[in-house]
Amino acid sequence: MTERIQLDPLEPWVEVKTTKEDWANADPKLLETMLGQLHLIRAFEEAILEIAGEGLVHGPAHSSVGQEGGAVGSIVGMRPSDAINGSHRGHHQFLAKAIAFVAPELDVTNLVTSSVQEVLQKTAAEILGLAQGYCKGRGGSMHLQWHEAGALGTNAIVGGGVPLGAGNAWAQKRAGTSDMTTTYFGDGAVNIGSVLESMNLTAAWDVPLVFFIENNLYAVSTTVAEATKEERLSGRGVGFGIPSWRVDGMDPLAVWHVMQEVEAHVRAGKGPAVVEAEVYRFFHQNGAFPGSAFGYRDKDEEEHWRSRDPLVRVANEMIELGLITQEQVDACRAQAVSAMEKVAGELLEPDPDGKPGARKIRAELWPDVGFVDVGLRSDLSEIQGAKTLEQDSFTGDKTDIRFVDAIAKAMDRRMEQDDRIIILGEDVHKLKGGTNGATKGLPEKYEGRVLGTPISENAFAGLGGGMAMDGRFRPVVEFMYPDFLWVAADQVFNQIGKARHMFGGQNPVPLVLRTKIAMGSGYGSQHLMDPAGIFVTAPGWRIVAASNPFDYIGLMNAALAIDDPVLMIEHVDLYTQRGDIPAEDLDYQIEFGKARVVREGKDATVISYLNMVNIAKEALDQTGLDADLIDLRWLDRASIDWNTIEASIKKTNSVVIVEQGVQGTSYGGWLSDEIQRRFFDYLDQPVQRVHGREASPSISKVLERASIAGLEEVVAGLEKIKEGFGRN
Amino acid sequence: MATQIKLPEVAAGATHAVISSWLVNVGDTIVVGQQLAEIETDKAVVELLAEEAGTVLQLIGKPGDEMEVGSTIAVVGAPGESADVPAAEPEAPAAEAPAAPVAAPIATPVATPPAAPVAEAPSPAAPSGRQSVSPIARKLAKDSNLDLSQITGTGPGGRIVKRDVLAAAAAVIPAAPAAPVPTSSSKELASQEYSSTYSTVPHTSMRKAIARRLTESKSTVPHFYLNADCQVDELLALRKKINESSPVKISVNDMVVRAVAAAFMDVPEANVVWTPDAMIKYESVDVSIAVSTDGGLLTPVLRGVEKRSLSNIATTIVDLAERSRAGKLRQEELEGGSFAITNLGMFGTTSFAAIINPPQSGILAVGAASQRPIVVDGELTIANVMSVTLSADHRAVDGALAAKWLAAFKVRIENPLTMLI
Repeated sequence: MTERIQLDPLEPWVEVKTTKEDWANADPKLLETMLGQLHLIRAFEEAILEIAGEGLVHGPAHSSVGQEGGAVGSIVGMRPSDAINGSHRGHHQFLAKAIAFVAPELDVTNLVTSSVQEVLQKTAAEILGLAQGYCKGRGGSMHLQWHEAGALGTNAIVGGGVPLGAGNAWAQKRAGTSDMTTTYFGDGAVNIGSVLESMNLTAAWDVPLVFFIENNLYAVSTTVAEATKEERLSGRGVGFGIPSWRVDGMDPLAVWHVMQEVEAHVRAGKGPAVVEAEVYRFFHQNGAFPGSAFGYRDKDEEEHWRSRDPLVRVANEMIELGLITQEQVDACRAQAVSAMEKVAGELLEPDPDGKPGARKIRAELWPDVGFVDVGLRSDLSEIQGAKTLEQDSFTGDKTDIRFVDAIAKAMDRRMEQDDRIIILGEDVHKLKGGTNGATKGLPEKYEGRVLGTPISENAFAGLGGGMAMDGRFRPVVEFMYPDFLWVAADQVFNQIGKARHMFGGQNPVPLVLRTKIAMGSGYGSQHLMDPAGIFVTAPGWRIVAASNPFDYIGLMNAALAIDDPVLMIEHVDLYTQRGDIPAEDLDYQIEFGKARVVREGKDATVISYLNMVNIAKEALDQTGLDADLIDLRWLDRASIDWNTIEASIKKTNSVVIVEQGVQGTSYGGWLSDEIQRRFFDYLDQPVQRVHGREASPSISKVLERASIAGLEEVVAGLEKIKEGFGRN
Repeated sequence: MATQIKLPEVAAGATHAVISSWLVNVGDTIVVGQQLAEIETDKAVVELLAEEAGTVLQLIGKPGDEMEVGSTIAVVGAPGESADVPAAEPEAPAAEAPAAPVAAPIATPVATPPAAPVAEAPSPAAPSGRQSVSPIARKLAKDSNLDLSQITGTGPGGRIVKRDVLAAAAAVIPAAPAAPVPTSSSKELASQEYSSTYSTVPHTSMRKAIARRLTESKSTVPHFYLNADCQVDELLALRKKINESSPVKISVNDMVVRAVAAAFMDVPEANVVWTPDAMIKYESVDVSIAVSTDGGLLTPVLRGVEKRSLSNIATTIVDLAERSRAGKLRQEELEGGSFAITNLGMFGTTSFAAIINPPQSGILAVGAASQRPIVVDGELTIANVMSVTLSADHRAVDGALAAKWLAAFKVRIENPLTMLI
């Protein structure tokens, strides 16, 4: 007979309900403020649904009608410096935070102050995609951001905002505050990796993040029971060692009470909390029809939940306590409705071409179409006047160094000079500098700033992203292998890459992502890609790659100074190579957007980067082709050195782009496209390309070699260029 | 079964041709219509196209080698198949080329009027019919005013590339006629040997052709010469008048061509060519025009001159001359004709005698028109006089006939209005 030992979770899991006594003991001003917020949000949502019904909201309008209690109850007690973010259904949370920011306490007899009116209008304008919106109309309903108010931005990727919230919370704690971040998401998101990875990561690191699950029972039409076994979704938290609460979200006071307990835990530095608030959306996923109209729930169920309307609940409790009369409640509602009529009047006008009573958006309020790409990236004023050096003209004392040691040296110097720099990645804190030695000596010297992460690239990349968007820290995230970008793709591309532009182009995302290409190392099909070709499709990202230690230091210094996400690509083959760096100077940058002409020739332009620069050089020696060899260094669309490329192509009229990786994800495709469109009349032959084969490199040594481009393939590419010269 | 590819007789009467370059390598798989080689004949560079698909088993002859027409230059077959083929195949080739190729001068068909292009000699454009041109080549050609259709592409697939245009641009720069001019061809540069007193320039096949044909002409064709001085004041006045209103500039030479045609219409029995078996009598007047190019003399044929207007003659001659200099004449444009005109008047030459261009039966050498004293009705006066010299093939044209023709020419040229009717 085996012995059986009962195991208990590390942290408690409780459900909290209010009693009549709790209502009696509640601060009347708290209740009045909650009632006011509830009515403002409800009237707002109804107005948006009405406008959407007229076809004037472009895209979905995910209504929160019925769910206001969870948001109001949890946010009403927050500090202005606390932060929230949310999901596609986020109007109510955003409004609660924004209203609380401009009016921490509300007076129901004078509900709509001018600052509240402004919040309502700017929010509605954003949802309509108008220039006066918080994100200048770029974000709309699903991307509402007001940084000053602590509204970090709602998110249209289910669970996508959660790692970013974790990053913000990490920064709050690291900055020495007891502020916290609450990340809102629904029952549908509770099963997605971003959320679960973030639960694990924040618990491991005691990050002050509140996971606020708005369980409205339906992920569109799929019920919780259909999607998961444990329907009490707060149960997720305890598995990660996170204290968890369950509460009736239709009771804002109960939610407020839970948040009091949550704050005591989180602000004390003990780590995250999970709150599951059971709520109900009165309408379908999107639009003004009830769910029953779509057949996935019935009218009885909807009637039951409507009878538990948080607006009615708070009003009735207050009437019962003699704090308010029904007339005053009605007047409160009337003020909110009238405020939204005013908003509609500001944003809409009668449509003379439409049916009687039809409205249209005031044409002058649309963003200028010229704004379409504005603010996609930093204007780079932050690196203006920075000191730059070039190895070809550097005359000072030099010292010879291994490439990988130059990485550690550059990071050491920057971390010493800039407290904001934080390194995070798998094993970066151990093994004497991570798996390759790039962080050698740093964990010991900079305690708490070199963070070994769990193996969850999506969560820690996103945590870095959240950190960067907060702005107090400059994360350097490491992906051990480039292919892990696919694992973290949502955070890397949808979030970090798009955030600045999507939220209006104002808030920088200073993050450096380091990764190393390992083609030739035998790690096989899932570890050996070159990420440049993928990142170059994401306009928010800048990309740098160094072929030697001197350039690496200068490029890393620039990357860490630029207020944009920058991908630093490294290569294992380069790590052991040696090169000269300035003996006394580790603070220079490589001039922004400047390629290096490694050698000059007249017949062809060879464009390459990273390890392939040296291989291209060797191939030129072998073939005797008299060519310009350009080491791009800056690879992305916005940073690439068109001047150097143009001058060379106009001279040589023949171009070959040399890279190592496989065809599908290769970098040269976009570049050759761009070259032929920019310089078509100067080309004497098609833009030639050297790259690997079709399939990912295999484990087998010979197959790996066969699948990637090496010296022989580059030589063949150069010979092809020569054939293109003709026989004259 | 391996197939031998024989050097085609790309130009009528050609006994030899030079393999200019191979466009395939041994082991290449080729398809029907694919370009195999460029063959440089006496007068043009033509492309040799594959008539059968297969794998190239052997290439005989290096670029630059002069080969006999009909000799095997390549072997095509199945991959791995032996290139050895039976020495003398009893198959009957379309041409009467014997199995053991010997120099077989094709004597008879030379004069076949509109020379049908030989099957192996298409126009130098890409086989698809579309000439590909690299963008920079197109731009350079435009900037240098070069006609792309006159340039042979040597890039992949026959694409005209930058270097082709640069070579063509270098070629149109007029060179001092006598001095050996180093060409841009690296092949030729490499073989140049300089000493303190002279340099040697290897012969181009055109140079060789000129040497061979003119030697042959002067040594086998019995030339005789007739001179005439023509008063051309009226002609010059008429030309001036025409050019005042004509959009096309008419040269004196154009009028000479017209007068030659008119003279042949007046004396049709002179419009003949001698062959060993029979005299060929022409209905129309097809006249070769001598064009001096960097590589040497070319004689494109202007056909049916009697039916052409002066302006048509003028524009056609300009076109032929331009394409001659760009090396873009089609082979058939160099073939046929019964008569030629050569004009050195622009150099100030007053009179000269020319060598007949076989198989033609005559050539008119035209000197410069200049003011000379003449006697009219016993009075000395001044007139513009142009001396012409007719060289005639005595096998085809007797002295009296030649004189009759020259008199007709003189009448026409001195009464130019009759040419316009």
